[in-house]
Amino acid sequence: MDHLPARIAALEQQLREANETLDAIRNGEVDAVVVGGPAGQIVYTLENADRPYRVLVEQMKEGAVTLSGDGMILYCNHSFAMLVDCRFEAIVGSSLFDHIADRPMVERMLAAPDAADAAEVSLRSSGTRAIPVNMSIVELQVEDGSPRMLCAIVTDLSHNYARAREVAEANARLASEMRQRSRAEENLAIALDAADMASWELSVDNEMVTSWGFAIGIEQFVDEDRADVMAAMDAARHNGALEFEKRILRPPENALRWIYVKGRVPPGLQGRERLAGIMLDVTERHLVDEQLRQAQKMEAVGQLTGGIAHDFNNLLMIIGGSLEIVARRAKLDERERKLIDAAQIGVARGAKLNQQLLAFARRQDMRVETVCINDLLPDFETLLDRALGEAIRVEIARGGNLWYCSTDPHQLETAILNLAINARDAMIDGGTLTFATANATVSEAFARRWDAKAGDYVVTVVTDTGSGMAPDIVARVFEPFFTTKGVGRGTGLGLSQVYGFARQSSGFVTIDSRIGAGTTVSIYLPRAAAPKDVQPAVRTAPAIERYQGKVLLVEDDAEVRAATSAMIEELGYTVLPAAAGGEALDLLARDEAIDIVFSDVIMATGMTGIELAREIRKRRPDLPVLLTSGYTAQHRVPPATRENFPLLRKPYTIADLSHALRDVADGVAERSE
Amino acid sequence: MTTPEGPRYVLRLFVTGTTSRSQRAITNMQRICEENLAGRYDLEVIDVYQDPEATRDLQVIATPTLVKLLPEPLRRIIGDLSDREKVLAGLDLMPARRGSDPAP
Repeated sequence: MDHLPARIAALEQQLREANETLDAIRNGEVDAVVVGGPAGQIVYTLENADRPYRVLVEQMKEGAVTLSGDGMILYCNHSFAMLVDCRFEAIVGSSLFDHIADRPMVERMLAAPDAADAAEVSLRSSGTRAIPVNMSIVELQVEDGSPRMLCAIVTDLSHNYARAREVAEANARLASEMRQRSRAEENLAIALDAADMASWELSVDNEMVTSWGFAIGIEQFVDEDRADVMAAMDAARHNGALEFEKRILRPPENALRWIYVKGRVPPGLQGRERLAGIMLDVTERHLVDEQLRQAQKMEAVGQLTGGIAHDFNNLLMIIGGSLEIVARRAKLDERERKLIDAAQIGVARGAKLNQQLLAFARRQDMRVETVCINDLLPDFETLLDRALGEAIRVEIARGGNLWYCSTDPHQLETAILNLAINARDAMIDGGTLTFATANATVSEAFARRWDAKAGDYVVTVVTDTGSGMAPDIVARVFEPFFTTKGVGRGTGLGLSQVYGFARQSSGFVTIDSRIGAGTTVSIYLPRAAAPKDVQPAVRTAPAIERYQGKVLLVEDDAEVRAATSAMIEELGYTVLPAAAGGEALDLLARDEAIDIVFSDVIMATGMTGIELAREIRKRRPDLPVLLTSGYTAQHRVPPATRENFPLLRKPYTIADLSHALRDVADGVAERSE
Repeated sequence: MTTPEGPRYVLRLFVTGTTSRSQRAITNMQRICEENLAGRYDLEVIDVYQDPEATRDLQVIATPTLVKLLPEPLRRIIGDLSDREKVLAGLDLMPARRGSDPAP
């Protein structure tokens, strides 16, 4: 019985709770009533409880639609109405299919809303404009027996699409830029490669990392250039630009190469360590430049030498001519005659020296013949044996099917002799001299190095096994009077003659020499067509005879004129002297009795001897003309006209003059000696 | 009138979504718990929309309803819990019908 009061209190409490609940419901203090049933607990909300959801649904950006099972719109929110751009009243009651383009897909979604996830469909706005939307459809739970209801949420994707499009466009632009950039890089690489250039970039270790596949650090530059390179690098950091041409020892074989480097700090990065640019191996060009400079120097020296030799010849002419006349006329005792002989030997030596000078200056008269050098080899062999002596072995390598070339065989012989003497002096303890002939087709690049023309040449190569020469000596060997031999042992004109002779023959000379490895000199003479008929030149020994007749002597140098007059008179002729071409023509017009005209070629004033000779040939075609010259000035006299007149080279002896005058008088178009 | 020591309270508040009455009930209950049961209560708020089945065991038939699971006996208080004294009485924190006895 004790538990009864407690039991009553509990029941009272329950009753109070039930009453309170009923009161609350009755007074409207609750939002919802929960009713249990066989299908589970069902929440029945009171009218006002829905409001927050209504507000939420109305306010949300997504379109919300309630649909019947067949797709009729029962409700739509504000956003949906905005999307389809219709009045709300016109939407409710219409079919969802009136507002979308993808009917089959939406039909599938309506039929099985849970199976289909959200799908992208096109919504028709105002019936025409298509708006991409994301649509999801869910089945609403309804009481048994009630018709189906569905709920659709529609999200506008226009903005997403626009964003996606922008991103896609940006991507496409980027891809295109990258394609262009990589193409530009590729083109640059091709261009650099085609130009034999490399690109480079300065690394953090201050090395130029090149696209040639090796890096060039400061230690790669040769000692003498290093300071300059470092100064240029420092300067580049301040002024942003780098340019120099220096020597490196190129890895991996440490070959000495000239490189031209040009680079800059990228714009806007002034003062930073970044530096990039291009690089070009200019070793070849340096070589060519050096040789070209040498060739040009030789040309200038040649011009100078030619001028000096011309004047020198006139001096020899005066001295030699005078001495000869004195020797003939004066009654000399034995001692005096010896002195005169010595003086005349001196003149002859001077004339020979002068000939070599002229040969170098390319002013010597060439007796050009078309020859095959192989035919001359027996003569050369004898010459070489005699010049070289016992200690040196001579090997002859005769080139097969050797081409013909146009050259002066005597000058070629002199050139070979000069080379042989040099070779002998380089092989004091004996050795081998190889003399070879060959055909050679010279490329443009090779010809450019030696300031010559590309084409077919006949090359004569003289190689010794002697001491060789250092590069600085090799660079100067063709200069006249340059000699390594002791005083009195060499004139310094040997190789100058070789050089001048080759140039005058439109050929060139190459030299290759290394200390201890001997020297090779190659004479390139241009190929000529094989002659139809080669006539050996016949030379007759000069003899002095006395003649009669009147010689018109044209010579601008008074002393030479006086000496020459005396020599002509010595031969029995009478002399009519003239100082210029014009004066000579006047004398010729007045005096019909002139038998021979003897004229200098180069005269300081008025017409040249050639022009005078032409004029005389016009006026008196039968009058013989003999020309004389200190050098055959090929630069001033076209070769074709030169061929037409006999020429006597200065200095000449009375015997030479006698012979030449007699020949022209006899109408023999003999070439001068 | 806080009682720092005492039994632990396990409470369930059933609400209906975001209705204003539900919001009020949540706010009121939070305040009462903090003032009277600080440190010794577990309060769970249950939305009957999301979990209607939760109402079955505790025989909740309307919302908002506060259910005191512990300490026993189980008590249900219906409404927005704005009647503070009624709530305190229902939680056995204050004798019912003795509202004239003010806190010191």
